[in-house]
Amino acid sequence: MENALTHVVNSLPGLLWTARPDGQIDFLNRRWCDYTGLQADRGLGVGWQSVVHAADLPELIERWQAIRVSGEPGEIEARLRRFDGEYRWFLCRISPLSEASGSPVKWCGLHIDIEDKRRDEDMLRASERRSHMIIDGLPTLVAISSATFQLESANLHYLEYFGGTMDELKALGPVHNCHPHDRPGIMAARQLALETGRPYEIEARRRRADGAYRWFHLRHFPLKDTHGRIVLWCLLQTDIEDRKRAEALLAGERSLLEMVAAGESMSRILEALCQLVEETVSGCFCSVVLVDSSGTRLAHGAAPSLPASFIDSIVGLPVNLTSGPCAMAVCRNEQVVVADLASETRWAAYEWCPLALAQGLQACWSTPISSAAGKVLGEFAIYYTEPRTPTPEHQAMISQIKHIASIAIARAQNDAALKRSETFLAETRRISSIGGFSKRGATDEITWSKEIYRMYEFDPAVPVTLDLIYSRIHPEDLPSVLELIELQRSGCDYEHEYRLLMPDSSIKYLHVIGHASVDHAGQLEYITTIQDITERRRSEEALAKARSELAHMARVTSLGALTASIAHEVNQPLSGIITNASTCLRMLAADPPNIDGARETARRTIRDGNRASDVIMRLRALFTKKTVVTESIDLNEATREVIALSRSELQRNRVIVQTELADNLPCVVGDRVQLQQVILNLLLNASDAMSGIDDHPRQLVISTELYEGDQVRLGVKDSGVGFDSHDVNRLFEAFYTTKSTGMGIGLSVSLSIIESHQGHIWATPNEGPGATFFFSIPQRGEGDTLGSSSVAGRATDLADDQQPTGKAQ
Amino acid sequence: MSLRPLISIVDDDESVRESLPDLLTELGFTAQAFSSAEAFLESGDLNQTRCLILDIAMPSMSGPDLQRELTLRKHAIPIIFITAHSDENVRTLLLGKGAVECLFKPFSETSLLAAISVSLQVN
Repeated sequence: MENALTHVVNSLPGLLWTARPDGQIDFLNRRWCDYTGLQADRGLGVGWQSVVHAADLPELIERWQAIRVSGEPGEIEARLRRFDGEYRWFLCRISPLSEASGSPVKWCGLHIDIEDKRRDEDMLRASERRSHMIIDGLPTLVAISSATFQLESANLHYLEYFGGTMDELKALGPVHNCHPHDRPGIMAARQLALETGRPYEIEARRRRADGAYRWFHLRHFPLKDTHGRIVLWCLLQTDIEDRKRAEALLAGERSLLEMVAAGESMSRILEALCQLVEETVSGCFCSVVLVDSSGTRLAHGAAPSLPASFIDSIVGLPVNLTSGPCAMAVCRNEQVVVADLASETRWAAYEWCPLALAQGLQACWSTPISSAAGKVLGEFAIYYTEPRTPTPEHQAMISQIKHIASIAIARAQNDAALKRSETFLAETRRISSIGGFSKRGATDEITWSKEIYRMYEFDPAVPVTLDLIYSRIHPEDLPSVLELIELQRSGCDYEHEYRLLMPDSSIKYLHVIGHASVDHAGQLEYITTIQDITERRRSEEALAKARSELAHMARVTSLGALTASIAHEVNQPLSGIITNASTCLRMLAADPPNIDGARETARRTIRDGNRASDVIMRLRALFTKKTVVTESIDLNEATREVIALSRSELQRNRVIVQTELADNLPCVVGDRVQLQQVILNLLLNASDAMSGIDDHPRQLVISTELYEGDQVRLGVKDSGVGFDSHDVNRLFEAFYTTKSTGMGIGLSVSLSIIESHQGHIWATPNEGPGATFFFSIPQRGEGDTLGSSSVAGRATDLADDQQPTGKAQ
Repeated sequence: MSLRPLISIVDDDESVRESLPDLLTELGFTAQAFSSAEAFLESGDLNQTRCLILDIAMPSMSGPDLQRELTLRKHAIPIIFITAHSDENVRTLLLGKGAVECLFKPFSETSLLAAISVSLQVN
């Protein structure tokens, strides 16, 4: 029996042992020994401990102790070393063998190999851990609830987002921390899901631990067992705040661009832009500040949510680095970020920061707005009531917004400029009476502007044809216009003037300029402007008439003065002749006759007669020379003659004439009468300039001299009123005069005469009162009255300019 | 005082200064010619002059200037103006200011004598 039993025990498919009540092993079966590779006697007592895994041994000993103390059956799990050194998990079931008294007399243990089962369990646990890890790691909020929507568990994100422990969140009840606006929607969807067991999706805002609401996409779906029964509900909540914001921003931007395209006013667009940003980024205030047209000052753009007093204090500030962050951003064309206004020290001069702080603002980010061409149009500012620094998301949005602002501002400015230039063009056309029309070469299709209808006095409702146009053109000008029309076939540009004969027989002068171009269809098209120059023509005619009248008056006036001069010059010798003749008669009639006296007086009579004859000869020279004659002229002699002719005029003006005529003055070549006219003009001008002078002598010095080697210069110096130095360039212009009675023609005529003599005429103020007028003309080439040094100087000049003096011949 | 009244002539024209004294001498007067008003004023003949034949237009001091000066100096010498500019306006003006006559050059012996005799009657 003993053997048979031993045999059975040894054959049992388990590791079997028995122990004494004190825990000492007193039997190990064959299988135990086979498994551990330990001799039975080596395993007895506490020898078996050597095959237990060191990590499991302490617990095993303790547990074994506890079982023995309890006297009840128990189980222990531990790893046992196999004969080949591998450890495997075993479940050891221990039962007491008791006597009738109840106290165990022996303990019996059976080791069952649970290695495989244990491994499976480990794998399951690992898998569970992994699942937890995955769920926790999911970038989304996950909540698991029971079939009746009682929250059971949630992932880490969920707990962190809402900021509570599992138990706290469970206590909050269903649909906790939901935006009041979104709550009814979720409740309805849940109810439906509960009733139907069908999943649902919804978007809603949920409050984060810090109080901020963020948008989530909620997916709530059931998990079913193999029988199709709902065991759990899984709620996935994905944060879509950024997407929502981007969508809102995008929609806002689109609506802003629509406003721009629709031609909405810039201030409305900028206001909407500020509002968009304020809606998109909670807790901020926005403003747009523009740069004024001068580019030097800030101007108001939009600030729908900021106090007007604050914006008013910014508007008008100079664009520089000191007047505030907005001005600085514009000035530098760089973003200026003030994260904390309270600790900011810039812009102290304008006390900008205290101004902003007084409005409760603590942060300001100012970004310049530039046109596509890089011109700074203004700036976009975001304000916060607490210190803040922009995030990359903020920067992305700012960059989008400033782009739209740039488009809106540039568009508004372009529109304004276009409107201005259109108005300007229309006004210019109206003022300058310019009309325009286009004509297509092939079809003779004509498009007229309003101005042309007005010029031609056609009814704008009547279509314009060439025949209609021809009917208005002055018959005398029609052939030339027809020629022009012919020319148009060739595609030449043209310019022409012609007249219109209006129904009331009035005449209009038109100036037409045509420019040919080829349109995109390859068709010849003429763009033509027509200007009504009737007024100009009339002015020109009136001016020409006035000029000829003036010239006539000048002639009459100078003739009158000349006649008086001539009469004076002739009357003087005549007076002498008559007096002498009377004396002569008296002397001859005396008793005895005074023959010697009579002879003397008769001689004087002859002399005065010759003198009168000389005057007449000079007059003949002045009036009979009609053509310009060039001759060799002694300027001194010519000057003396002019003085003689104008003496009475000068005397009447109480002018004291002093002559300083150079000896051996070389001759000049030119027209004697013309040059004398110039001298006379200078003398009379000088006399006139002194007519109001009473505090000093009316001294006139007329001088001649050799000038610059090869020129002869004549100067007329007066002590008159002189001229302003800024008038010096105008003195020789026609119709320029400082005299109340003068025509202003004399000096311009003098200029043209002197220039025709290759000479110069100019004026200089005197050091004392009055002015000196000079003219210089080249000396005669063949002159032989010069010293040798002057001849040498002249030769040099000749070589220099290759123009012999006296070329007027 | 000479029996022949002294007639002074002031004219910047030499031919007048040459011819007129001879004629006046032939007519029975004493004549003295001056080339300028200043020269006459500086001469010692002011008090003796019974009649002054005076050119209007002269450089520096003119005939009318001299007339004014003489009035200021209380020399009431009858004045016959002579001028080569025949301007009736000027003549009227001068007669209005007390001149005996204003003769336009060339003047006849008769008109000169008539003017002189008026001047001497004034005296």
